Amino acid sequence: MSVMKSERSMRRNSGSGASERQRMIVGRVLSYMALTIAVLLILFPIYWMVITSLKLPREIYRVPSLWPQVFTLDNYYKLLFDEGFLHPILNSLMVATTVTVVSVIFSAFAAYSMVRFRYRFKGLIGRLILFAYLTPGSLLFIPLSILMAQLGLSNSLQGLILVDLAFSVPLATWLLQGYFRGVPRELEEQGLIDGLSRMGALLRIVLPLSAPGIAAVSIFVFTGAWNELLFALVLVSSESQRTAPLALNYLITSDVLPWGPLMAGAVISSVPLMILYFVAQRFMVQGLTAGSVKG
Amino acid sequence: MTDTPDFGRRRRWLTDSRRTHLFAYALVVPVLLLIIGLVAYPFGFAIWVSFTDRVIGSVGKFVGLANFEYLSRNATFGAAVSNTIFLVVVTDILKLGIGLGLALLVNQQLPGRGLFRSFLMLPWAMPAFVAFLTWRVLYQPVGGGLNLVLTQTGIYPHVIDWLGQRPTAMPSVILASVWRGFPFWFISILAALQSIPKELYEAARVDGANAWQRFWMVTAPGIRQVVLVTALLSSIWTANAFEHVWLLTQGGPSDATMVFPVLAYFGMQTQRIGEAAAVSVSMMPVLIVLLIAVTAVMQRDDER
Repeated sequence: MSVMKSERSMRRNSGSGASERQRMIVGRVLSYMALTIAVLLILFPIYWMVITSLKLPREIYRVPSLWPQVFTLDNYYKLLFDEGFLHPILNSLMVATTVTVVSVIFSAFAAYSMVRFRYRFKGLIGRLILFAYLTPGSLLFIPLSILMAQLGLSNSLQGLILVDLAFSVPLATWLLQGYFRGVPRELEEQGLIDGLSRMGALLRIVLPLSAPGIAAVSIFVFTGAWNELLFALVLVSSESQRTAPLALNYLITSDVLPWGPLMAGAVISSVPLMILYFVAQRFMVQGLTAGSVKG
Repeated sequence: MTDTPDFGRRRRWLTDSRRTHLFAYALVVPVLLLIIGLVAYPFGFAIWVSFTDRVIGSVGKFVGLANFEYLSRNATFGAAVSNTIFLVVVTDILKLGIGLGLALLVNQQLPGRGLFRSFLMLPWAMPAFVAFLTWRVLYQPVGGGLNLVLTQTGIYPHVIDWLGQRPTAMPSVILASVWRGFPFWFISILAALQSIPKELYEAARVDGANAWQRFWMVTAPGIRQVVLVTALLSSIWTANAFEHVWLLTQGGPSDATMVFPVLAYFGMQTQRIGEAAAVSVSMMPVLIVLLIAVTAVMQRDDER
């Protein structure tokens, strides 16, 4: 009797230990399963984009398949040479690069000034920058298109660059403030004692130390300008000034919907950026959590 | 700054502190001018235009609230109002649920969680126009991936025209927006979770709190602030997003997915600038409240 009892209690003891471990294992398995399902759901659209761009028309329309029987680069060929997609890509590169360089330079100056110096109206300027960063484009596209027409800049890449700056400069300034705050003031003061000017301290000490931040901000700004569709749609009317999003937008408004070339365009305009984000992930996440970045 | 010896020029105007001040202003002025010229002035100009009957080619005259009266009687405008609110509320709730759930999963001590995190971030790295073009293809009745998966796995045997009919159009736009938008929530919440000290969980465990109690006592207060900022930002951006609806449905079928920015764009295309401006201006009051709220919260964080 007593033996049985002790045996039972022992079993219960060891059972509870095992059940805790079991619970942990079950928890892990469930976690992995949930995460795997989530990742598959995330990846499926991306998979579909890539696979559609590699399919022949008959496999897109007549006998759709999850895995193409024939892989082809026809769609890329069609897009680049028949549709002349190379030109909009170059336009987009031009616009996004200019916007990035200009806004990072001006924003670095402004952010440094905001972080390091005390002066009147600084709080007000700071609030204005944040407000400007959060003001959505859908509110500004009508007045800005009138403004660009008055300046004689509608239907030009210069106009588009100027308008993009309205969004990228506040964003870059806001984010860079966060990064510059992390640079120890002592290092800078040491530089000033060693004979550097203020400008020298900014260029030789603050900027190099914030290099990861500047890289992240540059990528954010570049992507923002690269993605811009609404303003391009409103401002640009001639084919020669089209950017990549605009060119793809006009592909779907034509009568026949060329899914193959369209997805080829989607791959060309997104895969380099996605690889960049994947590689520079750590910086990008820091940047996101530093200032919250528009998706 | 150190004082340099001053040889006789006692009353010079450009003292070191003035010089520093000038330098500080000079650095900030270009950005300030740009913001005034390209954001603040257009902002005010939009309000002015919304009170005029401006069309392309004519500046128009002041018509008071006539544009807004016209809009209030306009069925499409009514649809845009309710659709925008619905879209924002539903996508925010879904993004919060999915973002929080996945962040909690990835925040565990799981081998390989870094890889999961990278994959879960991917939609965020995808340009918005590419994401929504891809979803447009996925939703197609012919050649669309979604119908193909549903019919081939036998989940639903019939082909659905997701974007072409009223009952499914809005849910389809929401699904695509959530897919593209949840990583922002996921990353923000994950960062907040990782900044909660482990000791707090240990202390709660010692006090005998179960997992549910630990969530409400430790996790929830730790991420509340981040969730608030993310919700405000996400609401502003979703309400003003253009690409998702434009590339998927252009507001159709029969206004089922019409939202503010798309309606304003259509107004602009029909060349009635005054009315188009009134469309975007009529969402300003809500927007300004959200802006002030988020500015207050973010600047408070910033000064901490």
